[in-house]
Order: sequence, then C-alpha cells, then structure tokens
Amino acid sequence: MNTILVVVIVINIILALLFSLGAAPILVWVERRVAGFIQDRLGPNRCNINGFRLGGLIQSFADMLKLVFKEDFKAKAIKEKFVFTLAPVIVFVSAFLSYMVMPFADNLVIGSQTFIMQGLPINLGALWFLAFAGLSIYGIILGGWSSNNKYSLLGSIRAGAQVISYEASMTLALVSLLVTYGSINLVDMVNFQSKLLFGFIPAWGIVIQPLAAVIFIVTAFAEANRTPFDIAEGESEIVGGYHTEYSAMKFGLFFVGEYVAMSASSALIVTLFFGGYNLPWLGTDTLKENFHTVMLAIIVILPLLSLLFGRWIVKNNVWPSKDDKRNNESKWLIRVLILINIVVIGILGCFLINGITETTTNIAVAIIQIATFAIKLLLMNFVFVWVRWTLPRFRYDQLQNLGWKILLPLSIANIFLTALVVVGLGV
Amino acid sequence: MGIKIVPRYGKSLKDRLYLPAIFSGMKTTMSHFAKNLKDTSNIKTECYPEMQPTDITSRYRGVHRLTHRDDGSIRCVACFMCATACPSDCIFIEATEREDGIDEKMPSLFNIDLLECVFCGGCAEACPCDAIRMDTGIFSFVATKREDFVLNREKLLANKAFRGEL
Ligand code: SF4
Ligand code: SF4
Repeated sequence: MNTILVVVIVINIILALLFSLGAAPILVWVERRVAGFIQDRLGPNRCNINGFRLGGLIQSFADMLKLVFKEDFKAKAIKEKFVFTLAPVIVFVSAFLSYMVMPFADNLVIGSQTFIMQGLPINLGALWFLAFAGLSIYGIILGGWSSNNKYSLLGSIRAGAQVISYEASMTLALVSLLVTYGSINLVDMVNFQSKLLFGFIPAWGIVIQPLAAVIFIVTAFAEANRTPFDIAEGESEIVGGYHTEYSAMKFGLFFVGEYVAMSASSALIVTLFFGGYNLPWLGTDTLKENFHTVMLAIIVILPLLSLLFGRWIVKNNVWPSKDDKRNNESKWLIRVLILINIVVIGILGCFLINGITETTTNIAVAIIQIATFAIKLLLMNFVFVWVRWTLPRFRYDQLQNLGWKILLPLSIANIFLTALVVVGLGV
Repeated sequence: MGIKIVPRYGKSLKDRLYLPAIFSGMKTTMSHFAKNLKDTSNIKTECYPEMQPTDITSRYRGVHRLTHRDDGSIRCVACFMCATACPSDCIFIEATEREDGIDEKMPSLFNIDLLECVFCGGCAEACPCDAIRMDTGIFSFVATKREDFVLNREKLLANKAFRGEL
C-alpha cells in the first residue's frame, strides 16, 4: 500500500460513482429536456437556485429531494415486507455494481506501477456486467410479486420473460465479440479497437462486427427496460408495472436504478463497439507519442468550442421577463467558461514550454481518455433517450417473436460466421 | 363500380428489416431536436406566469360578469332563467323590487359558485336580457378558502369584458 495506489483507487471509485450515480440526475434531465425538444416543447426550465438553472438540471435535484421527503406509503395487503423493501435495493445495487468494470481509460502507468482505471480492479470484464445485469431482474420480479397486486405481478412476469429471451441473444452476441477480440478483459477489447482497419478505418467493434453490434444494442435496450421494450411498466396496460405499489424513495431507487442500468449498458456498448475511451485514430500510444500536437490541438479547439457554446448561451439562455434573476445566469456561466479555458490553456501552455515528464504525460492521457469516454457515454445515453422518444412500445408477442425468432438465430449464425473468419484468417 | 386496390405494406425486405423505418423515424425526431436546440425561440411554449396568453378568442368562456345598462345600473331583472338553465345549480338569486323606475325587478343577491360551475355557458345562453356574460377572459381563479370561490353580485358587476364592452 502506498499513497499513489490509494489515491488512484479513490479517484477511480469517485469516477465510477460519478459516472453511475452522478449520471442519474443528469440523465433524468437529459431525458426530459430532449423529450421536450423532440416534441417541440421546452421541458423543465424554471427551477433555480438563486437564478441558476443550469438549463433545468436543478429540477432533477429538486425531484430527488422530493422523493426523499415523501411519505413512504405501504399498502396493508403487502405481506412480504422484507422482500418488498429488498427489491428496489437489488435493482439499484446490481445496476450500480455492473458499472464497476467499465474502463474509463487505458491502464495508467505511474513510475513502476500499473493501475487499472475502473471502479473495481477486477478482470472479469463483460462477464461481470452480464452477471449483474441479469441479477437486477430479481429485484423487479421480487418487487412485483411481493406487491401483492395483479398489475405489479404482470409487469414483473413480463420483465422476467423479456429478460430471459433477450439475455440469451445478448450473451451470444457477446460470444462472437469474445471470439473476435480474444479476451474478456474490457481493456484488451478497447485496445484491440484502437488499431486501424486497412490503415484508415478505426477498427471499432461496430465496423468489425456490425451484426453483433445491432443485436447487442437492441438487447441492451431490452435489458435496460427502455422503450421500445419497456412493456414491464407499460402504463397504458398495467398501470406502473412492477413499481405500481412503490412510493417515495423506494420508487426512487427503481427510478435511479433504471437510469444507472441504462448508463451501464451505454458504457458497455461504447466499450465494446465504439472504441471505449479511445479517440478515433488516436490509440493510447499514438496519443503519448504525439502529445505535443494533441496539446496544441486542444489549445486551439477548446476556445473555439467555448466561443460557440458561449454564443449559444447568450442567444438561448434568456428568461422572458427582463428583470428576473434567472437572466444573470448567462453572465456567470460565461465567466466560468472563460475560467476553465484560462486554467486548461495555462496548464497546457506550461507543459508545452517547460516540457513534460513521462508520468505527467500518462496522467494527462488518462484524463483525455476519461473525457472521451464521458462524451461517448453521454452520446450513447442520448441515443437511448432519442430512441425512447421516437419509437412506440412493442406489443408483447412481437417482442417475443423478435427475441426468439430473429435475434437468437442471427446471433448464433454470427458466432459461426465469426469463428469461420477467425479460424480462416488465422488471427 | 371501380375497384380500388389498397397497397399493402410490410412485406418487402426493407419493411421487414424494420431498421430503415426506425432510422427514418429517428431522423425526424432528430431534426426537431436540432432545430429547437439551435434556437430555443423556435419553441412555441409560453413561460406562463410571465407571459400571459394572447390568443384568448372572443368566444372563450371565462369567469362570468353581470353587465350594466347604459346608465350604469344593473341589467339583470332577476328572472331566474339562468339559474333554471344551469346544469350544476350553482347560481343563487334573490329578487327584490326595483325602486328607481327603470325596471320592475332586480337581484339583491346574485351568487355563482365557481367550484360547482362547469363553464358550460348555459346561463349566458339563457339570459333574455344579455345580463350575464362569460367574456371576461379570466381563465385562472384561485383562492385559499372555499367561500372565496363564490362570486357575489358586486364582484360579478365589477368584472370587465376582456375585449372591452360591446
Ligand atoms: S356556466 Fe353553466 S354551470 Fe356555470 S353558472 Fe352558467 S349555466 Fe351554470
Ligand atoms: S342574469 Fe339574465 S337570466 Fe339570470 S336572472 Fe338575470 S336577467 Fe334573468
């Protein structure tokens, strides 16, 4: 045990917490605002702390606060009190734990030590994710059953049947990936994707394994109980589905758990198919070798992006009545933007002038990769939200047909195909 | 009689693949999202308490008012037509003799309970004297007590027409 080890591990855990738990309010916000914009509405935009709205993000925190302070009502018909309470915890914890193996950056080398940049330093990779993603269904089934309510039970049975039929194809799609990448370790997979195909296409999973990508993304939607596969809580048919009887923070845990699970699915999709923490065409080694160029590029690009963003803020972050304190926000946001620019450019400028040591390069590369991962994760989450507000819900039989008659045979065929190619090419 | 052949969709490979349709749907939603994100003023949502609606039509049934005669006195003759027409029985009238020689009767008490009113407009329709109207344009009425939702004669007389007196 030395200090660096402890610091890195603590930072990793904080990052994992940020990406999973911290993502929940942000995702709720993204969901509501994106839904609004897609439907030509505004979405939540009023809630503010002393004029600061952050585009409506404050609303998520207010909602969470509300859930915490609401009455935790429990119907008398609920006999299995312990299971009833346990269910949301299972959903939440398993969603949260499935996040722990996502690598945010390549293995970090400081001095003679190497650190795995993920929440928990374990090498189980994709298997860990599958295990916990599968476990979360227990929470839904138990919650639905112990609610002693026919709607809840129907919802949880639907969810159970759905997860069984989609988990099979998901795992099989993953098998073909394992054959391609030759490892279950997610870091290895990402590093595999940093290579180039034919010298110019990034060898991302979606390019090498398009079929597996489609199958996996579709099943990930089902796994995360998101539209078009959210029949478990099809409110038009079965009220709220498995969480009909839940209130206050118990419901909140289901709710947050759903978003954490969605974020975890996105993280895995990004890691498996979209090059994980790698920038396209810039693998870890390339990044390290050309770090001066990268720094220069950041120094040029960051102010340009900030300028665009600042102009967007000035144009769009206005409140109708002139003397409202919400109108002061833009001024402060722009100040913060300028401050960030000055700090980043200052630090990078120092590095450029004074030269940069090996360890600092490694850390800086890790930071860039974490940022890349965060951006990709956000984009993937956006796709989840985007799909939700585009597609209607599947009918139940269509859903089962799709799962068993189309996705499963396709994924098995894909394994054979992959195996043939891998054996044939001898890679 | 001609036969109209209705084209059946869903059998071609493109339809059965399902994904092209999904992508075109996503393109549509994305175009809305991008348009609104680029310039939020494209969105027609009004930030309500700050921006009051400007599109209330003259036929909008708002809170009632009692109209005046040319000399400013009350127009209502306490004929009880409105109270009879009212489906929710929420108009309470007590008649009294009118001493000023303009007419014979007028209400001494004219209460409308807005909590019971369903804003059907039946009262305004029934009135033979055009004495009650719902053209105030008042769509939002809030109070902290039940009693405050009962509008009395004076309040009804004080309500103004939304677009000015005809
Ligand atoms: S609007 Fe309809 S319900 Fe309301 S007072 Fe008039 S007649 Fe009665
Ligand atoms: S408001 Fe009209 S209908 Fe009602 S009592 Fe007066 S005159 Fe009669």
